Amino acid sequence: MKKRFFTLIISLILIIWFGFADGLQITGYVRNYDGVLLNDDMDFSIVQNTLDLNFSMQTSKVGFKVNPYIYQYSDKTTVFDVREAYLDLFFNSFDLRIGKQQIIWGKADGVFITDIISPKDLTEFLLRDFEEIRMGVTAVKFDYYIGDNTFELVWVPVFSATKFPEQGSIWAVTPQFPIQPQFDFSRKDIKPSIKNSEIFAKYSVFSSAIDFEIMGGYTWDADPVIHTLKQIDPFTHQLLSLTAIPEHHRLTVAGGSFSTTLGPVVIRGEGAYYWGKYFQSEDPMLKEGVVEKDYLNYLLGADFTIKGIKFSTQFIQQYILDYDNFIVNNEVNNLMTFLARKDLLSGDTLHLELFSYFGLTDEDGLIRPKISYDITDGVNILLGANIFFGDKGMFGRFNKNDMVYVKIKYSF
Amino acid sequence: MKMKLRNFIILIIAVTFVSGGLFAQKKLTGLEIMKKVYNRPSPKEMEAKLTMTLISSSGSKRVRTIKQFIKDFGKVEKKIMFFLAPADVRNTSFMNWSYDDPNKDDDQWIYLPALKKVKRISSDSKGDYFMGSDFTYDDLGDRNPEEDNHKILRMEKVNGLDCYVIESTPKDEDYMYSKTITWVVKDRWYGVKKDFYDEDGEYLKTLTLKKAENIKGYWIIVTVEMFNKQKNHKTIMHLSDIKIDTGIPSRMFTERMMKRGL
Repeated sequence: MKKRFFTLIISLILIIWFGFADGLQITGYVRNYDGVLLNDDMDFSIVQNTLDLNFSMQTSKVGFKVNPYIYQYSDKTTVFDVREAYLDLFFNSFDLRIGKQQIIWGKADGVFITDIISPKDLTEFLLRDFEEIRMGVTAVKFDYYIGDNTFELVWVPVFSATKFPEQGSIWAVTPQFPIQPQFDFSRKDIKPSIKNSEIFAKYSVFSSAIDFEIMGGYTWDADPVIHTLKQIDPFTHQLLSLTAIPEHHRLTVAGGSFSTTLGPVVIRGEGAYYWGKYFQSEDPMLKEGVVEKDYLNYLLGADFTIKGIKFSTQFIQQYILDYDNFIVNNEVNNLMTFLARKDLLSGDTLHLELFSYFGLTDEDGLIRPKISYDITDGVNILLGANIFFGDKGMFGRFNKNDMVYVKIKYSF
Repeated sequence: MKMKLRNFIILIIAVTFVSGGLFAQKKLTGLEIMKKVYNRPSPKEMEAKLTMTLISSSGSKRVRTIKQFIKDFGKVEKKIMFFLAPADVRNTSFMNWSYDDPNKDDDQWIYLPALKKVKRISSDSKGDYFMGSDFTYDDLGDRNPEEDNHKILRMEKVNGLDCYVIESTPKDEDYMYSKTITWVVKDRWYGVKKDFYDEDGEYLKTLTLKKAENIKGYWIIVTVEMFNKQKNHKTIMHLSDIKIDTGIPSRMFTERMMKRGL
């Protein structure tokens, strides 16, 4: 019996292998990535070796993709995971994708407004390539096509949260409390159930004059808010103990995005309204130190070319409605991004790029110059720097993490 | 501005050309000759595999491979390209819609698999080199002869064929080339050679027709070479697996296909 079972398994593997051998594609890359902090000791910020593989196959009716990857580090445990593993079914007027997948919405570059389905891996802040920042989610995606327009429905049965850096990482952000808190993680996890699933819908129009998307979602906030329970001495009014309880909350989101051309300039916009987002508050009357508010996040951007240099700039505003002064976050956060890129040398083998975030509210930012060279087809070496400035804000808090790095990548 | 099927990297020559005899006795102007080249009949649909070989001054080669589909919908011509190689651009796709209306700019989109997003891009960058080759996006398009002033310089034989040698200077002073000189085969109305001069009037590069094949009654130029003298760099473009008027479905030219790929 055991022998039969073994033979069956081997036969199945061989049938699948030979059946798919013609159409099976194996692609991917190998990369070495080394970064050095610009401090007195020139500490290594990262020494990482990566293998990223894509197994894929596609016919006119069906397809699949599996994307396993390995991050091997010099100073911590090797990470082995699967970014995507899904099955595609293609029909005349609709498609179905089932499985772990990255789902990207919106027209913004480098900021996340309507792009809220795939949670972020922030273990290296925002420094990874964007395909590595976005994590796959287990979902069913249904696309129905009406001419050049698409209706998309996404059901995410199991919630995935933002992945934050481990304690001790140079990218870890320690919440500020008046005394050292005790952490209670009992409310952090969302129990997988139909009731706790997420659903998103989008209608997108693709036309000569304009491309736009209208979206809505009933989701969970991928970033937990930290509730606090305080024990106060009734006589001295001194804080005796503090319990910090991270918790995700339900969020209803509606928004849209567009892109169009105005002469030689591409104009882009994106915005979303979030109902019921939670924020930390210092209001002493609040039982758990959090408050629920509506929240608006929008962007306007332009892409253009001058003398062969491609430019892209974006203005982003985040606004908490019905704000009160106890809320820890700013009422308004203004941010700008700026990108310039130029390809040089015969065959466009040398690439210069400068990407920057400028926090206008906190007067902080991140400047990311890069120079890369295609040694040969598929082999690229990249030298770059990450320069943080400011004293506070999402970039200023990493002011001591300025670094230079090198990446050597072989794609196959 | 509309890009005709015969262009981009190909020059398609109608075999059933009867006008040669009709015009043989008439003295043509430079503009009339270039209009004959521009208005040559062309197929409604084409798909092909395009291989670009980039050859540097040291002789090292880089190869780019693309699968492309083109369809003329009447007032708009749509083209979609799927990048097959090299590995770091595989699964990227590019779509262009070009219009009969000379006042309407092309619409262009690019799908970047790393971003998993279709981005609208400006068609204004026609002076950019296509995938690092010696062809600019403008070289690959179909320039309306009304945009230039044309002058017949002389008659000359190329490969045994009588050719008009036409000098074309742009009406727009900001155009990337100060002039071009085209060798047009008499009575067949296709170019066999074209010299390009940069904005400073210096000789820049030469496009040379290398090979043509007759497919379904059209002469398809399957191999062309662009040699950039200033960079001492060369690109050879070769078309293979050419299929004409096979009934490419309209849905091939959609965002759905850009994302799905081949």
